[in-house]
Parts: sequence; structure tokens; C-alpha cells
Amino acid sequence: MFNLSLTPPQVEFVLKPGVTLTQAYQVTNESDQSLTLNTQVLPFLPSGDNGSVTYNNLISNPNINFSLNNADLKLGQPFTLQPQETRQLVLKINASSQTSQADYYATLFVYQSPDKSANGTTISQTSGQIGSHILLSVSDTENPKTEGVIHKFSLTPKIKDVFFTPIKFSGQIQNNSNYFFKTAGKITISKNQQVIKELKLDSQNILANYYRQFSCDNQQVCTLSPPLWPGKYTATLEFDSSLNIPSSSASFIVMPISPLILIGTIILISYLISRISKFFPKNKSDQTSES
Amino acid sequence: MKRIKPFGLNFIKTISLKKGNLNYLIKNVVFFILFLGICFLEIPKILPKIFGQSFDSASYHIDWGNFNMTSGKKTSANYQLTDTVGQNAPGKFTAAGYTVKAGFQYIYDTLEKFSFSINDVSIDFGSLTPNIGSTQSNTITITTPSGHGYQIMAIANKPLSTISSSTIPDTNCDTTCSISSSGVWTSSSKYGFGFNAIGINSSGVATNIGTSSYFTNSTYYRPFAASSRIESPQTIMSEDTPVKNHSARITYKINISTNQPSGDYENLINLIAVPKY
Repeated sequence: MFNLSLTPPQVEFVLKPGVTLTQAYQVTNESDQSLTLNTQVLPFLPSGDNGSVTYNNLISNPNINFSLNNADLKLGQPFTLQPQETRQLVLKINASSQTSQADYYATLFVYQSPDKSANGTTISQTSGQIGSHILLSVSDTENPKTEGVIHKFSLTPKIKDVFFTPIKFSGQIQNNSNYFFKTAGKITISKNQQVIKELKLDSQNILANYYRQFSCDNQQVCTLSPPLWPGKYTATLEFDSSLNIPSSSASFIVMPISPLILIGTIILISYLISRISKFFPKNKSDQTSES
Repeated sequence: MKRIKPFGLNFIKTISLKKGNLNYLIKNVVFFILFLGICFLEIPKILPKIFGQSFDSASYHIDWGNFNMTSGKKTSANYQLTDTVGQNAPGKFTAAGYTVKAGFQYIYDTLEKFSFSINDVSIDFGSLTPNIGSTQSNTITITTPSGHGYQIMAIANKPLSTISSSTIPDTNCDTTCSISSSGVWTSSSKYGFGFNAIGINSSGVATNIGTSSYFTNSTYYRPFAASSRIESPQTIMSEDTPVKNHSARITYKINISTNQPSGDYENLINLIAVPKY
């Protein structure tokens, strides 16, 4: 049994070269048996466009030093947590004065040390490992300058009915600077220079010289729900001016397709009824008078 | 029901109603001034005192320019509150040389912790029979606080092997599969070691939530990446939104041929949970 929690799951710092800081973590053994654990810090690279990471056996930057500040524990030294016990790990991060001013990304891992070996059987021993990301910007200034561009901002469908099928927005934010930033922006949907709706973007980290798919607050995919009046609409994706990201726009047309189909259907049915009625005999009164 | 009016309003109303009655007005004004005086004099005695922090010894006196009064997570049956009172003001970057971009509240941003569990860490296959696939499984469960979901990766230290270096090879599935792509593996004549991960609900029913991008269904398998081959951990489950107690069943499968040397085969599989940044 392995059941571990680690708090906080991510920390973000701006650090001057030559400065040391500490960050406290709480690791809790949530299981009902004692666990032998260990710690390590590994650098990571972003992967994909949705906040995933990869650990490609990267070599740590020698100018960034990670160590534990606990009196009785070093990084890489095993320790035991009793059931439901919580322990504080104090991570010390030092950026030497020679550190290049840029971003450095790593993960603090707490992992289980295996304690069983095969004895007359075929066995796969599994061990759990839980990590907390460290996003570190080494800079002389508190707010390093960032800049980016919007890639592939698009919406579907481009022509839609007044009812049915929502409009979905997609695109990527490319960070062209050496420092990560958090997205702060919105999609403004307007028609005839009038704002119809604003969709607030989710606050996401865009890592240095990398890209990420944007999403909206409380929506994984930014979506504009119908109904909408017919006409031409413009969607503008814009960010906080401090991020230095030029805005981008896309258009879509709303047409009264379903009402037209309905009206057309009614006209067609009426026409067919009128045509069919010609084949029926004349009304009863006429028939009676004839008889 | 009798409504209690604030003192000030009563006083104003009294003035307007009793206009011309000077004695009555003076009495009210005096009473009001007395009331204000008592408030100013007594309230500071009731409130807790706030002092600057300092530490003294025979040789040193240290004054603290700022001292955190309280911070953290407060909860009751109906409410949760996170606060940081007394945090250093912004603008200290030049002096301190660092700043926390995320703020303290990020740490407590929901009631949920970032946690990861494996219900059984020992996958014991016992004795294996050639040409009959043997499977074992365990369940992983993850909870993430608010943020952007999670990613679970897997890597083995080496292929299943004995101390004398006999190895059960990695599966190639029925046709083809690799450490980063899965394939159907149902044939009893296809040998090797591999695994499947399938999202399940709290009743153990397969939902494939979180795993559908990696395994189409429970017949799909792939081999583990191995650190002995200098491979990196491969993602086997992920979601882009915060989750609570999302589980997946990991099924480990071995099928050996009659030529497989006997022995105690073992390896170590590492299941790694990290948040999405």
C-alpha cells in the first residue's frame, strides 16, 4: 500500500542570482502502514500543449543547487513516515551568482523505497512517487519582461445556425521570452461594434520559449452557446497588456438556417396539401346536391 | 416583532420630533457625547493588543520589521477560508532577492491535497505456465487540488529478469506496440510482459476516464519503459482538470513460451504522479 500527499503541488519563484530561498513542503503518509521514503529533485521539460512534462534524463544545472534544510535529513536520504504522520521538508534553493538569467524547471519528488524481493516467484514490485513542480525564474528584476504570440486562433463552425451547435474556440499561446508567464485575458465576441459576450481565459502558466493550448474559466474548451441573432460576429482574443501578446481575431456568421428550413417545410407541406386536395372529390354538400 | 433602531437614527428622529424642546435636546446631546466618550475610552481595552516583535539577549536586540500574525486554512462545517495576515508587502525584491509569484493562497487553494495511492505494491505472479497468459492488477487513485489536472507516468528499472540475466522480453502485442503506443494483445502465442491501464469508477466499472488516450480498451497493452535502457517515464493516465479520487486499474500481463528459462524473475515499476503546471 502506498498513499502519500504532498503540499504544495507547485511553487513559483523569481530569484536573483546569488540568492538562496527556502520552501516548506508537507508530506503525509495517508496509508495505514509505515512507509520508507526518499527525496530527489529532477529537472523537467514541458511536453505537449496541455501542461504535461517529461523527464528525459536531463542533467541538472550546476548553478542551481537544491538541498534540504532539515537538521536530520538530506536530499536522497531515506526516512520513515508512520501511518497518518506528516513531516515537513524544507527545500533550500540556491542560484549561484554565475547563474544565467532565465527560467529553470524542476520537480521535488518524494518516492517509496522498495522493500521486497522475489523469493521463488515472478514478481513486479511497484513503488509510488509523487512530485511537486518548481518554476524558478532567475532574474535581476522582480517582473522579468515577457512576450508572446497567439498561434492558430480559430473557431468552429464558421457558419452556424441561430440555434444548435455552440461555437468552440481553440488556439495556442507561444511564449517567446526566457521567462514563464500566467495568461490573463479574454475572448470578446462582438457584432456591429457591440460586445455580445466576454469569455474569461483560465490562468495558465506558459513556460519559457514554449506554447500551450488556452482554455477558459470553468470550461476546458472555450465555448459560446446559442442562441445567437443572425449576422456577422467577430471574436477577439486579447491579453493583459503587460504580457506583450498582440491580439488576434476570427469571424463567424450566424444564419437563420433552422427557421428557414422550418418555414420552407411549412410552405412545402402547404403546397403539397393544396396539390393533393385537388385529387379529392368536391365537398359533401356538392355531392349531396348532385345526388 | 419590535425593531431595534440604531442609536444615531433614534437621536436624529428625536431632534426632529421634539423640535423646540431645548431641555430635551440638551439631555440627548449630553447623553450622546457621554456614549461616544465611553466608546473611545473602553473599546481599546477590550480589543487585543498589537505589538511589534523583538527578541532580546545579553548581546543582541533584534527588531522585526514585519511579523506574520496568522495564515493558513480555516474550516468549519459550512465554510473554508484561507488567509495570510501580515505577509511582507510587495516591493521587497531588491532587499530580499526573491519573490513568490504564486502567493501563499495557492498552497491552500482547495480543501483537497495533491495525493496519490497504490492499493497493492506487490504484483506477485507466482509460478507461470507457458502459453497461458497470466495477469495481476492493482489500482491507483489520484486527487488534485485546483490547478490544471495531473499526469501519471510509469517506468520499470529493467525488464523482468533473473539474477542470472534471463529475461522475459517486453511484449510486442499481437502485431505491434511500444513503450509509447499500445496495441491489442490477446494471442496466446505472443509472448512477453506488458501492462494495460483503464480508468474505473468507484464501483470498479471501467470508464476509461484519464486513460483513453493511452489504452483504447482493456485488450490494449504496451511494454514498460526501462531506465536500464535510458528511457524516460511514459504517461499512462492524465486529465486537464482537478479531480477527486479518480482511479485506474493497472493490469500486468505475462505470457511465456516453453523455452523460457526457469527462475525468479523480478523488476521494480515506478508509478509517478505529478500535477500539470
